Amino acid sequence: MNVELTELTRKFGRTRAVAGVNLEAGPGVFGLLGPNGAGKTSLLRMMATVLPPTSGTMRLLGRDPGSYGPRREIRRRLGYLPQTLGYYPGFTVAEFVEYFALLKDMPPRQVPRAVAAAIEHVGLGDRARAKLRTLSGGMLRRAGIAQAIVNEPELLLLDEPTAGLDPEQRVAFRALLRDFGQWATVVVSTHLVEDVGAACAEVALMDAGRIVFHGTPADLIAEGEGRGAAGDAPLERGYSAALAAARSAAAA
Amino acid sequence: MSRDDLLTGGHRDAAPPDVDLDRVWLGVAERVWRRRPGPVERAAGRLLRSPGLARALVTTPSLLLGWVIASAVILLAGVGMTLGTGAPWVALLAPVVAASGIAYAYGPGVDPAWELSQSMAVTDRMVLLVRALAVFGLNAAFGLAASAASGAAAAVTFGWLVPMTAVCALALAAATVTRSANVGVAAGAAGWVIAILAGQAVGGRYIAAVTDSALVLPYLAFAACCGVVTFVATRIPRGTR
Repeated sequence: MNVELTELTRKFGRTRAVAGVNLEAGPGVFGLLGPNGAGKTSLLRMMATVLPPTSGTMRLLGRDPGSYGPRREIRRRLGYLPQTLGYYPGFTVAEFVEYFALLKDMPPRQVPRAVAAAIEHVGLGDRARAKLRTLSGGMLRRAGIAQAIVNEPELLLLDEPTAGLDPEQRVAFRALLRDFGQWATVVVSTHLVEDVGAACAEVALMDAGRIVFHGTPADLIAEGEGRGAAGDAPLERGYSAALAAARSAAAA
Repeated sequence: MSRDDLLTGGHRDAAPPDVDLDRVWLGVAERVWRRRPGPVERAAGRLLRSPGLARALVTTPSLLLGWVIASAVILLAGVGMTLGTGAPWVALLAPVVAASGIAYAYGPGVDPAWELSQSMAVTDRMVLLVRALAVFGLNAAFGLAASAASGAAAAVTFGWLVPMTAVCALALAAATVTRSANVGVAAGAAGWVIAILAGQAVGGRYIAAVTDSALVLPYLAFAACCGVVTFVATRIPRGTR
């Protein structure tokens, strides 16, 4: 298993953003669904080793991120796209991707080829030498994805990766996800259920810091069948039904 | 024109069937997009034995040209004021200028890619250390040059180096703990003003903060304490297994 989380909790003051999450994930594309404030971003930031958990245990790529050496090794094999991508406006796309390839400790000789491959992978080849400040929101998102995949990560964490992408780009992006999912663990946080249906083999639904549903997209669709749940598509109805069931169980 | 057309001059059929145009294109793109590091980055890469750290160093916000020029201008103004009034303005200004640079070397809101940098194999603690040392070194060199140009006595020329270390350490610790460069600058400036006023109150001379050799050890002890605070603030807690 590339991701093993046991009773993982993160508090901010008195607020429990993540409340005792248990999760295991091997290679494949894993979708993390949930409403705003459900704890998806906090969970992803902990998996990215950016945010330490308040309690619980976590093993990533078979290592303990709490120790310096293993954490460094995890980070070498990690790709992370944060929800809000910070960037240097004066950098070109190629410079931006190269910067993070170097910070990921990639062997310098491999960096130029890896940068070119990552930029081509996200379809930004014709903008590789453009300054980031001249790019559209969707292009910036793709530059962010390029830096995440430049080291061919074994664990790829993407927070709202399709935000700002047009339909054509989203289709291409889902193909990229499926491609990486063949050999890496890809965790995608999103509130767009159609992304999950198209690309994910497994899905977890979070609400109020907890995982309230875990299964395949087909299982989630089954949750919504015959319950009159809100939604235009089967997955949306499954999402609404699973969320409603979890909330009524919590209230009872 | 598509990239395949670019590679084959518009004659795609001319490419031998066993040639992988994707691979050829990547080879071309690799060469065309490759960035040539400048001399400073190359030297830093050799010194630090890490091209990533070297790249992080040359992107330090307070080592960018505009900031460096602004620091030089402030110290030049200090030189002019020292020559005009006889008061050691360079010695009084240099610690605050350096502390501002240190506070703005790294952190959220200062470094646009700070969140991403937190997940990198080259640790943010190393990036912070390398950037802070580089900013300190540059400002110390500027300050010494300005002191020499202002014709200050040797005691004053070197006297501010130790207080500058303490003020910079305070600014770094405050900026790291509060995750705010502005708080770091404010803490550094406030600490230095308090030291000057204390010198005035105790010895009757505001310049005592720079010239009193009895203060060297307290300054160094204070800087060490601030260093410990920064070290603790940048560690990742254990117990995440």
